[in-house]
Amino acid sequence: MSALDVTFVTSDRTEWSGKAARVVVPAADGSMGILPRMQPTLAVLDRGIVRITSDSGEVTEREVRGGFVSVDADVVTIAVDHADRPASR
Amino acid sequence: MGAQQRQYKQRIGSAQGMKKIFKAKEMVAASRISKAHARVQATTPYAEAITQAIGAVATHSGELDHPFLETDRQQTGRAGILLITADRGMTGSYSHNVIRAAEELGNRLREEGKTPVLYVVGRKGETYFRFRNREPERAWAPYSENELASLGHEVSEQLTADLLSEDAERHLDELYLVGTRFLSRFQQVARATRLVPIEVVDGEENAGGIGAPSYPLYEFTPDAETVMDELMPRYIESRIVNLLMQSMASEHAATQRAMKTATDNAETQIRKFTRLANSARQAEITQEISEIVGGADALSGSGRTER
Repeated sequence: MSALDVTFVTSDRTEWSGKAARVVVPAADGSMGILPRMQPTLAVLDRGIVRITSDSGEVTEREVRGGFVSVDADVVTIAVDHADRPASR
Repeated sequence: MGAQQRQYKQRIGSAQGMKKIFKAKEMVAASRISKAHARVQATTPYAEAITQAIGAVATHSGELDHPFLETDRQQTGRAGILLITADRGMTGSYSHNVIRAAEELGNRLREEGKTPVLYVVGRKGETYFRFRNREPERAWAPYSENELASLGHEVSEQLTADLLSEDAERHLDELYLVGTRFLSRFQQVARATRLVPIEVVDGEENAGGIGAPSYPLYEFTPDAETVMDELMPRYIESRIVNLLMQSMASEHAATQRAMKTATDNAETQIRKFTRLANSARQAEITQEISEIVGGADALSGSGRTER
């Protein structure tokens, strides 16, 4: 199975980039999961948690506020206004 | 020691002191350039992502219109100019160059029958216009180098609000950015560019051609209009933040160059005054000798043999 090529950027830095197996983003109308071979999508993001599961199964979580995500032929670009490490639970 | 010599020594001393200060400022600026440049580059992926997304939306929904995309938004004839200048002095011609570019743009707009409205960042630009009794519409000064991102956010919020405003007193038809592009350590250009109305260059540049970037048919969530509404202010903000950071890097580069020149000048001064001090000392010695010789001559001429 192919992997997602993810670039996760905020306005002033690159938060995460690399290959991922799946990505979950907080879209404006509900949480959206992204898997390889998804149809091209451009979605507006709300506040919530972006969860990236990398190829090796490592999970990266970031609390984000506002932004957008574009999916195009397994290239995922997440651009957000703010990203913070989520408060440890 | 003669008075003249003492004066030269004093001036050499002060030139040496200044040279040290200039040298220090030069080195500080040099180290800040790379930091500022790294910051510019850190914003690039975000800016690229937004530009690409806007291109995708624009090419796929031909009927889509957004107030920032309309080419004809003549309402009040007010054209906003965002001018980015320095807060500090000692930057050589950095601030003058951007101010001149803004003035040229302003004159051109006036010739076209529009009213330029100034938004100024930086104390140098603010005082320039305030001194000439042309108060800028809004000025952000002084600003801190570490808060460029939040400054950019504030600036773009105000500008976006004014662009969309229905109030004839506030509404802007167009928006221009005047700042300094950081091309390299040695080359920076002050330039004015139009930001609104936006020309979607991406995709239209070689439309129909084989090399045209083909965007896939996107699914928009929730819908294309909402996506566009969300993207546009971000695009404006990212452009403004990017230009602010480029200008900051350019300011440091200009400072470095100006301080380099100042250091060189101080060196020239030191050399010049050292020469003058040497010749003054020589003149003094010569005079003393001739005084002694003259005195001895006068003594021997008087015929007295013992003292």
